[in-house]
Amino acid sequence: MNILMMALVVGVLFATGTYLILRRRPIRLILGLGLLSHGVNLLLFSLGGAERGLPPIVVDKAAFTGDISGFVDPLPQALILTAIVIGFGVTAFTVVLVNRRHALAEEAVADVPVVASRKVVDPFAPMEHYSGGLDADPDDYEWLEYSVSDELSRARQRIHEHAAADAQLDEPTGSGKANNMNEESD
Amino acid sequence: MTLSPNWLAAPIVIPMLTAALSLAFTRWNRRTAAKRQRNLAAIAIGLNLLVALLLLVYTLSGNRLVLQMGGWAAPFGITVIADGLTAILLTLTGLVAAAMLPFAVGTLDQRERMSFYPLMLFLLMGVNGAYLAGDLFNLYVFFEVLLMSSFVLLTLGGQAGQINGGIRYVVLNLVASVLFLAAAGLAYGALGTLNMAHLALRIPQAPVAVQTLLAGLLLIAFSSKAALFPLFFWLPSSYHTPHPVVTAFFGGLLTKVGIYALFRTFTLLFPLYLVEWQSLLLTIAGLTMLTGVLGALAANTMRRVLSFQIISQVGYMVMGLGLAGSSDATLASFGMAAGIFYLIHHMVVEVALLMVGGATELEVMSGSLLQRRLGGLMGRRPALAVIFFVAAFALAGMPPTSGFVSKLSLLQSALQNGNYVIAGVSLLVGALTLVSMARLWQHGFWGKATEPIYPTAPLSSVSGRWLTLTPIAALLTLSLTIGLYSAPFFRWSSTAAQQVLDREGYIQAVAPTDEIHFMGGEAHD
Repeated sequence: MNILMMALVVGVLFATGTYLILRRRPIRLILGLGLLSHGVNLLLFSLGGAERGLPPIVVDKAAFTGDISGFVDPLPQALILTAIVIGFGVTAFTVVLVNRRHALAEEAVADVPVVASRKVVDPFAPMEHYSGGLDADPDDYEWLEYSVSDELSRARQRIHEHAAADAQLDEPTGSGKANNMNEESD
Repeated sequence: MTLSPNWLAAPIVIPMLTAALSLAFTRWNRRTAAKRQRNLAAIAIGLNLLVALLLLVYTLSGNRLVLQMGGWAAPFGITVIADGLTAILLTLTGLVAAAMLPFAVGTLDQRERMSFYPLMLFLLMGVNGAYLAGDLFNLYVFFEVLLMSSFVLLTLGGQAGQINGGIRYVVLNLVASVLFLAAAGLAYGALGTLNMAHLALRIPQAPVAVQTLLAGLLLIAFSSKAALFPLFFWLPSSYHTPHPVVTAFFGGLLTKVGIYALFRTFTLLFPLYLVEWQSLLLTIAGLTMLTGVLGALAANTMRRVLSFQIISQVGYMVMGLGLAGSSDATLASFGMAAGIFYLIHHMVVEVALLMVGGATELEVMSGSLLQRRLGGLMGRRPALAVIFFVAAFALAGMPPTSGFVSKLSLLQSALQNGNYVIAGVSLLVGALTLVSMARLWQHGFWGKATEPIYPTAPLSSVSGRWLTLTPIAALLTLSLTIGLYSAPFFRWSSTAAQQVLDREGYIQAVAPTDEIHFMGGEAHD
């Protein structure tokens, strides 16, 4: 009866956790991750023999016959302790990530004069509305902007000016472009 | 030759202590911390590589080295064990880290000062520990150590793309970890032990349903970590987001830990399932190769292409594992050896390719193939172009490189086993890999330049050029050496494969006992 109840609770935790992970809201994601790791902790706990009142250590070693049915296995509890710490660390890190994403999203909304909409992302919508997927999306190279100053944009602008000038001067050959570029950039 | 088993603790202890120590530098003097951390990391990585080479020499003569922590007998204490496969992987990990350090010094931006080197050392500790762990729970713990450091490395800098990629990466890896932990717990509940040698002894006593459950759960958990066919999607959605140094480090080390765990558990714990599920493993391998390479052909930035190529290449190693499920012992051993040989080739070449791809992106501050931002680098950066060419050829499996020999051995093994479908798929994927590499070459190095080279790009200064290109060139030289003098390398892989498939030897080396000895005395007397 006891073990059946444990099994049911573990099952419910796993099912709820899985359901919550599949939701779109970040807070549900975090709760789902927490429930999943607690589900597996409880699973480990029930494997140690979830009997009330049994001791986990052999006190009277001389009288010990090798029959372990009167004891609870202490090892799973040690394992759970480790698993709880790890799960806590990962969950805390996820909270930080979600928080950071929220902050970045607010910055982005503040920059752009468009009111953020609650439009649901439709995976079957035409591609021009959909910035994800395999195409190069602008997010991809944001890590670069971290180390790039406006020097690069000025260099880019110079190149385009030169290219435009070259195009006017020697339209047919076009070989001057590459030379100019080398002088500019190297 | 005898070697003290205490050496086995060194690959875990060295990175851990140096990482902890170098974290203190940020408190001491924030301005010079990065430099001190860098020097300390160089010492740690050098020592780690030396110990790994020592273990390699010892184990490749056919020995296993076992350390029972604290002198506790096998199933009660913590077992640390190294055999040929472990030592090969430790050495390759050490090599990758040694190549990564000068590359990181040459290319990193402000992120260098955000405790990059301690994180790198913690990751190294997790990877080494996972290879050395002799029981399922410690394998789980070291997996978590390496994942935690990889989470932080992936999001170091905190840009929006990184955070989005990081959330996907964290969630999917956490789910895989939960499944792994559940499998470890169920194994303990059903068999009363977590020590892998002890599990291998007891697993035939378990009901078939329990065995299938454990094998299935571990297969799902490890395939997710190794980015195999249906569970690979976390990799291409996160690996292109961090700094190229981080991508190269991950591409060389992380998925291989999953592959190692699959190799170890299926040969040691579930040898019957290795035979029974051979067609399943080969199907997974074939689909992983195909989807990976098709993704690489469809992807439109340099590092996305290379991320998909990681997936495609991982499929070849699983193909080796699948071929080890042959009922004929010689063929099984040959298949396993081919898989391990491919692992050696892959860790060297994939890291080199990701490094050179990252360096290319840093030169023009873009990797987009669609917007034609890359291009014309062959005239402007000839050394980079030559290195990229060799690395791409090695990945595609062209003759003078290690890629050719490793693909050839897998193909030979598949044909000897009569698995013609997987042989055909591996050939097709090899050809498609060449196409995707040619695409990168065409967009990146041929054509007219449309973008300037950024003034402070790593290859602009002489020191940056040396720091960035020398480690890549060294790795490619190793790849060419493996390709031209493949006999000793294949012999070592065969030794490792025989050791991996020799379950009795592993169990005897660990020697798990069922007798309980109490600490403290009176029960003994």
